[in-house]
Amino acid sequence: MKLTINEVAQSLRVPVSTVDRWIRQGRIPIQRTDNGYLVDESTLEKWAKMYKLPFSLPKKASDAKRQTPPDNLLPAMKRGGLLYNIKGDDRETALKNAVDNIHFLSDNIKDAMYQGLLEREHLTSTGVGKGVAIPHPRTPLKDLISNAIIATCFLAVPVDFHAIDGRPVFVMFILLSPSTKSHLHLLSRLSFCIRENAFVDFLKTTPDSTTFFSKIADFENRFAIGDRN
Amino acid sequence: MDHQLLHIFRNNPLGRETLLQSIYFCKKVGAFPVIYIPKTTKFLMYFDNDVVQVDLDKSYLDDGDTAQPHAAEILTQAGLEPRFLEPKHYTASTLPDIHTGFNYMCCPRSISDMSSKIGIGYIGPRVRRIVKSARFPVLIASPVFKPWNSIAVFFGGSVNAVKALRLGFHIARVSGLPLEIFTQIGKSSKEEYQRVVKDRNLEKDVDQYVTQWHYFENNNFENHLYEVPHDALVILGAYGHGVIKHMVVGSKWETIQETLGNNLLVVGPNFVAWR
Amino acid sequence: MRILRWWRYPGNWPIFRFDDRLLLILMAVIVGIFSGLSSVVLNRSLLIMSEWLHRYQHFWWFFALPAAGAALSSLFLEKVVREGAGHGVPEVIYSVSRYGGLLRLRSSVTRLVSSCLTIGSGGSAGPEAPVVISGAAIGSNIAKYFSLNDRQRVALVGCGAGGAIASIFNAPIAGMVFAVEVIVGEWKSVNIVPIAIASVAGAEICRLLQGNQIPFGHHVFKIDFLNIVASLGLAVLSAAATILQTRMLRSMHTISHKVPAPMWVRAAIGGCMVGIIGLYLPVVLGEGYHWTEILIEGRYGQILTIVALASFAKIAATALTLGWGGSGGIFAPCLVIGSLVGVTYHHLLVLFWPSISWVNEGYYALLGMAGLISGMLQAPLTGIFLIVEITGGWQVIVPLIIVSVVTTTICHYFEPASYYLKDLVDHGHLLRPGTDERILSDLNVTELLEQDCVTVHPSMLLRDFVDIIKHSHRNYFPVEDEKTGDFLGIVHLDDIRPYLFDPVMYDTVFLGQIMRTQVEVVHPDDDVLDVVRKMDVKGLYSIPVVVNHKYLGLISKATILDQYRKELMVQCHLL
Repeated sequence: MKLTINEVAQSLRVPVSTVDRWIRQGRIPIQRTDNGYLVDESTLEKWAKMYKLPFSLPKKASDAKRQTPPDNLLPAMKRGGLLYNIKGDDRETALKNAVDNIHFLSDNIKDAMYQGLLEREHLTSTGVGKGVAIPHPRTPLKDLISNAIIATCFLAVPVDFHAIDGRPVFVMFILLSPSTKSHLHLLSRLSFCIRENAFVDFLKTTPDSTTFFSKIADFENRFAIGDRN
Repeated sequence: MDHQLLHIFRNNPLGRETLLQSIYFCKKVGAFPVIYIPKTTKFLMYFDNDVVQVDLDKSYLDDGDTAQPHAAEILTQAGLEPRFLEPKHYTASTLPDIHTGFNYMCCPRSISDMSSKIGIGYIGPRVRRIVKSARFPVLIASPVFKPWNSIAVFFGGSVNAVKALRLGFHIARVSGLPLEIFTQIGKSSKEEYQRVVKDRNLEKDVDQYVTQWHYFENNNFENHLYEVPHDALVILGAYGHGVIKHMVVGSKWETIQETLGNNLLVVGPNFVAWR
Repeated sequence: MRILRWWRYPGNWPIFRFDDRLLLILMAVIVGIFSGLSSVVLNRSLLIMSEWLHRYQHFWWFFALPAAGAALSSLFLEKVVREGAGHGVPEVIYSVSRYGGLLRLRSSVTRLVSSCLTIGSGGSAGPEAPVVISGAAIGSNIAKYFSLNDRQRVALVGCGAGGAIASIFNAPIAGMVFAVEVIVGEWKSVNIVPIAIASVAGAEICRLLQGNQIPFGHHVFKIDFLNIVASLGLAVLSAAATILQTRMLRSMHTISHKVPAPMWVRAAIGGCMVGIIGLYLPVVLGEGYHWTEILIEGRYGQILTIVALASFAKIAATALTLGWGGSGGIFAPCLVIGSLVGVTYHHLLVLFWPSISWVNEGYYALLGMAGLISGMLQAPLTGIFLIVEITGGWQVIVPLIIVSVVTTTICHYFEPASYYLKDLVDHGHLLRPGTDERILSDLNVTELLEQDCVTVHPSMLLRDFVDIIKHSHRNYFPVEDEKTGDFLGIVHLDDIRPYLFDPVMYDTVFLGQIMRTQVEVVHPDDDVLDVVRKMDVKGLYSIPVVVNHKYLGLISKATILDQYRKELMVQCHLL
């Protein structure tokens, strides 16, 4: 296979000007001809191996694109859905009931997840104040789920979550993510929403799913504008 | 823009004209001049596969003390910051090495012989060597300062001609000046030349920058040169072959430089397009 | 036309593409033949000149001849061929170090002519350096003609030098060792093989044209242990002579440059002085092969004072010739001085211990030669092999090694760099392959440039800047003027860390207030060596690259390490 000089530079992870100089100095088995270069991939690979240089062909453009940016709030929330009227007198039972109500998880996962949430809760409370909690397991659920999920759970009665401001929690966003990166991404966006008092007041009205998602979509738009600047 | 043009300053009125030409060129193409004021009549230029010794004629050393202020004055008047090249290395104490990592170089038609030889139709042996070996195009300045307002590219279909055309597009892009192509129809037909352009993915550029593509149908190349605008920068590719070959094979580039008094930007066989 | 030109690009032929050893061997033969021829030509013309010169030796105006010769050779170099009289062999090493062995075509002839004028007229210099330059230039230009790359060209330059030495002395091993030890400086088979081939070719050409004879007759010495021990003393003496010669050459050079006269007049003055010395001590004249032979054979037959005086006179004459602008090499004078020093030492031995039966003076002359050559070039191997080959004296190899090694060591103590390398080392031009200087000089700033820094404007609010930090990978933020795009300074994350968590500051602080303006910057044309030094001195990890007030990118130590490693691997692997 023939390579261009740019591809050679990428394969060896050096600047093009270095490859150019190496050719001139005769350090690399590439010859200059009247109108270009003579490059042979197998020769080059052999050479790189002999000199113990890293050599891997550059990934095609499509491969590079596959690494999509982490999910945004809206799709994650849609996946998790809204759960109303979650019963429970304390945080453990509330969490237990919420996890049990997440319909698309199999039973053994639910169990593991509940343990995970509880474990995290024992470290410090995930009650972030204003009556909102964002329970999440400490380690990402890499093997169990492929996409991030946020289950929005409105509690029947506010429960004490040992939150920072001591207020009882009336809504929980159970955040499950496959990677730390997407976890942090979603957490940062979610906490941005909660920082707005209007949104918390809106949550207190226990909105239905359509109005809730449209509100979230509004936030997403604002994020998008922020990203662009 | 960090393109640099090497200018070897000759401290006399003739050299002033050449420097003005360099400055004009730099302003048009968004480069800035680097001035070398020679302290000895010789210097070396190490190219990729060649070393060229340039023997300057004596007039370059005239009145050495005023050279720097003179050059600085001309540059400052033109609104440029004077930059002078100090040779870093010396092959021998009287033989400085001038590095060759420039983007352009400006030469008068002759730098090693008496300036009385400068005229149309004569290009000194050293200038030829530089053109032959250089990775950068060489601006062969007209004897007196002559502003140009358009670009004329001679295109003969060869590899070098394509390089020249690319360079032409680059200059048209940065200077915003119109570009005309001139082609002498030889053995191949009009379509052949257009196909070469198409094969190199230059069609879009042709559409964008070229105002007119002139084809010289009959063989009377010299007479056709009258069609080249007098105030155009002429860009062309040149092979550095010698006098004998020139007499046998003939060469467009010799004819052009013997006929046109314009500023010539010559692309040698070793020219590498900038990345 | 392209069909006709394929043979100009042998590097592209399929058989040579991955491994060019065969190609280099082929080229080495050609280079060896040509450089051999050039040395034969010089040798012959010197013979003719010296015969012609011999006729006038008895006239009183004879002293003017070296003056005329030196002046002519200087004029020739300066005016006719405009060589820009360089340092000779150091120029070859310089070009090998810095420019992949590119040499001018004219160098292949100019030195031959000029040194012929200098030496032929009686100047005290050697023909070896000129043939080395000529051979090297031939090799370089053959490589250029065939569009070979730098590495191949350097090998061919070595071939030229090796072939020349091999041919002028009829000594293939010495040629090979000299080329590798002094010129190329890299003991690797890719270099050694072609250089060996070229040396053989050069020597063979010399034998074909001039007959297979070693320059100095072969002698049998009976060496006992005492004589070997005594050779240690000679080593000290020859080291002293070497140091004297080196220092004298240098001081003569400085003195001559203070004389306000054109170069050729200076050369004439030097030549004139040599001529005057030559009137009284003819041993100092010319390249002195003839005298060396007499000395080795023990036929010089002068008393101790005269021999000692002659040693000094030859040293002075060489310094006068070369230091004042004559053209030629140091090899042959070294041989003469060495043999004179050796004979002097023998006389001294006889004087102090007359009862001991010392080997004859030829033995010491031989050892002295080895000492001088090794000391002067600081190349012990070249000294040993050259003397062994030109005298056929394999049985003296043990004392030869002792003298060479000891002399080199002592000289190294006083003069850390040899005569050839002194200037190069002083100016940082000696870049042997695989050394730190070499790698840093090969890398250039553009190759190390990182361009992933986000540029900001001085009027930007801290709030906006915090947003930019969120999306950037780097800790450095170059500040550019909004209108002109000029580089103003740099903001480092550390600079804003104190304000980063203080939202009150967000809308009150402009970047222009916190940026660093006194920033060290480098130019893309700067040597990486200087850049690294700058970083070391100032304790910086990154340094912005600025050209014409415009910011281009950043250089950081991390990238330097990465590139440096790759460069080192590519330069120094097995091949």
